[in-house]
Amino acid sequence: MEHPILALGLGLLVIVVLAWAFWPKKGLFARMGKVRNSSRRVLLEDTLKYLFDCEYKGNTCDLNSVAGNLNISADQMARLLAHLRDMGLVVFQEQNIRLTDTGKSYALRIVRVHRIWERFLADETGVEQMDWHGEADIREHQLSMEDANRIAARIGNPAFDPHGDPIPTKDGKIPPFSGKTLNSLKEGEVAQIVHIEDEPHYIFEQLSAQGLYPGMQVYLLDVQEGKVTFAADGNECVLTPLFASAITVQPLPKAKPIQEGYQTLSDLEVDETATVVGISSYCRGLQRRRLMDFGIVPGNTITAEIQSASGDPVGYRILGTTIAIRKNQADLIFINNIKKEHHEQSA
Amino acid sequence: MMEQKNKQVNEEILGMANNLKWELGMDTHDSIVSSLYADAAQIARKTVSMDGDRPSFSMERKIDKVVTSRMLGFPIMFVLLALVFWITISGANYPSGLLASLLVDTLHPLLKNAADSVMPWWLSGVFVDGAYLAMAWVIAVMLPPMAIFFPLFTLLEDLGYLPRVAFNMDSLFRKAGAHGKQALTMSMGFGCNAAGVIAARVIDSPRERLIAIITNNFSLCNGRWPTQILIATIFIGGMVTPFWAGIVSTGAVVGVAVLGIVFSLIVSWGLSKSVLKGEASTFSLELPPYRPPRILQTLYTSLIDRTLFVLWRAVVFAIPAGIVIWLVSNITIGDLSLAEHFIDWSNPFAVVFGLNGVILLAYIIAIPANEIVIPTILMLTVLVTGMAGVGEGSGVMFELDSISSTEGILREGGWTLLTGINLMLFSLLHNPCSTTIYTIYKETKSAKWTAVATFLPIVLGFVVCFFTAQLWYLFF
Repeated sequence: MEHPILALGLGLLVIVVLAWAFWPKKGLFARMGKVRNSSRRVLLEDTLKYLFDCEYKGNTCDLNSVAGNLNISADQMARLLAHLRDMGLVVFQEQNIRLTDTGKSYALRIVRVHRIWERFLADETGVEQMDWHGEADIREHQLSMEDANRIAARIGNPAFDPHGDPIPTKDGKIPPFSGKTLNSLKEGEVAQIVHIEDEPHYIFEQLSAQGLYPGMQVYLLDVQEGKVTFAADGNECVLTPLFASAITVQPLPKAKPIQEGYQTLSDLEVDETATVVGISSYCRGLQRRRLMDFGIVPGNTITAEIQSASGDPVGYRILGTTIAIRKNQADLIFINNIKKEHHEQSA
Repeated sequence: MMEQKNKQVNEEILGMANNLKWELGMDTHDSIVSSLYADAAQIARKTVSMDGDRPSFSMERKIDKVVTSRMLGFPIMFVLLALVFWITISGANYPSGLLASLLVDTLHPLLKNAADSVMPWWLSGVFVDGAYLAMAWVIAVMLPPMAIFFPLFTLLEDLGYLPRVAFNMDSLFRKAGAHGKQALTMSMGFGCNAAGVIAARVIDSPRERLIAIITNNFSLCNGRWPTQILIATIFIGGMVTPFWAGIVSTGAVVGVAVLGIVFSLIVSWGLSKSVLKGEASTFSLELPPYRPPRILQTLYTSLIDRTLFVLWRAVVFAIPAGIVIWLVSNITIGDLSLAEHFIDWSNPFAVVFGLNGVILLAYIIAIPANEIVIPTILMLTVLVTGMAGVGEGSGVMFELDSISSTEGILREGGWTLLTGINLMLFSLLHNPCSTTIYTIYKETKSAKWTAVATFLPIVLGFVVCFFTAQLWYLFF
């Protein structure tokens, strides 16, 4: 009490220390978690996963590429690989490293847990999109196969993770890799965007700015030299082959192409009416079910009715009730046929 | 043999299904669901006929255009809410005084006399001075404002106006990671935090509902208003000339309430970014049509469901608190009662936070109800200072009719302007009352979130009081 400055300093110090310890992602405890996560077993499993990914996509991989991917030195990697060979999980063929059958099924188990967890995060929790992959990278080493199977059963045994990659079955089956680059598709083919290359950055930025993202359906309209024309979820896009080659797609031979283009619900002005086309695949889980429960399904008519005093949210009339929807949700709802609503003037 | 074959066929079918799923793409399930909905909607469009818009519809749109307009939306809202609070505070004054004079001033001495003639002094002390008096106090302070506030609030709800408030306030709460309906649970919390916590049921998104529950305690409930008003009048109003005293002390109380709102927004934001980050979240808000309120039904449900329900829980918790209060001030070890031992021991610690041992003890034994904090503080102060001729004996809570005699007791107990300010802050930022804690547990079914909701505000309270006190010591 006689030294308020001392007390104040002490108080501030305590707060700083606590913040340093518990700060999410960068704090002491978060860092300790990360260190625990780079144990030897985790490195072994990550190596197997990477080798599997190379083989699945038909690439070859050598010591340096594995080491680079795991961000460890080549020496360390060589020791890890020797260990894996002793365990009978990999074999060396000259420069190439290949998985044995046991190694492959081990890798598939990890891939299954990883993708189920991603799907679980996307559908059942509020974890943000950017964090799905990172969280699953940690969980894949902790979750047992039985737990993963239980989670899968609870969310309806999904066949794909939220990025569009197939989830291996319990007995380790996975469809053969059939991803192609967008520019290798033929006219009239339907496919789904499964991956957008994030290097080099200017291409990625350009593609994001055009509103292209994994999960969108593409329908090839016209392929010419120097120009690829396609409909992405019904909206026409044109790209040069260089840009198109940064997009990996998965052909969907049995899917129907989405024909109509659309605008988003947030484009609707007050007193305008439109028809609902669908909900973006960005909007998942609870939120998606809730919107569908309100009647936001293809074919229904929706009218923008009132705007709140602060501009967002907006009240929309659908199936006879007025529902307020925030702008960030309205951005993910697709509509077409925008018309001005005609009111009968009442005296 | 047969079984084996069946199993084989099953596996084949499952494998085929999986292959088909892979060929159809990731949104199969979704397109099935939406085509079901679309078919149902189409059938309904063909077969169900509707009589145009109801005649009241265009009227409704006109009202909506006014109450949600940029110019008038917020002013209308503030005026209506201020009106509700004004009616509550001014309307509750008289019945509260009546109940207090009946239950405390008249009935208590009668009961005490009757009890003294049939049982030993300590038993009548425990039952009448402890249990009965705590219960009487809670009823007298709590019942009238709640019986006015809840029906008024329910009427606004029934009218269809409250969803429009949530609609207008949503953008502010969205920025704090919360739901617009939290504006409603917060307003409800100004009446009673337990009722505010129950009201959070209207928020259907799990994450936002937890946020609303955990931060409801930052709404200054009506059990705490009297404390704020009394202390502000004595210590803050006392600093200025009598002409300004009313305005300045009112300003201080409103300031504390606004500080509570600011804290609830900041804490909401922090929670949604940290511990509650992974909880599922969704937004939806129905704007029901306006309709004439059903007054009798509203009165009945708000009195039974909200007022009596909450009052009953409060009484159940207040009775044991009253017993504890009486016991700690009457059981003695050596020359001093338990209360005095605790107060002496905790004083040095409390001074660091600009409070004193009496306040700490009062907040510990008055956890069940904020209403009895001031009577407990007065009783304990008299007990500790050994003033003669004030109060009604150790363990008997009391309040004084005149503010200046209350001030006299507190000044005698060593209170300064700093103690007053920090008591106001601590009254805003401390653990919820036990009724609310129990309600939070009932609503969340989770010991973890109940613990967060209980300890977060009190830690915050100590931090804020600590820095206020130390800065005060530095400059004065």
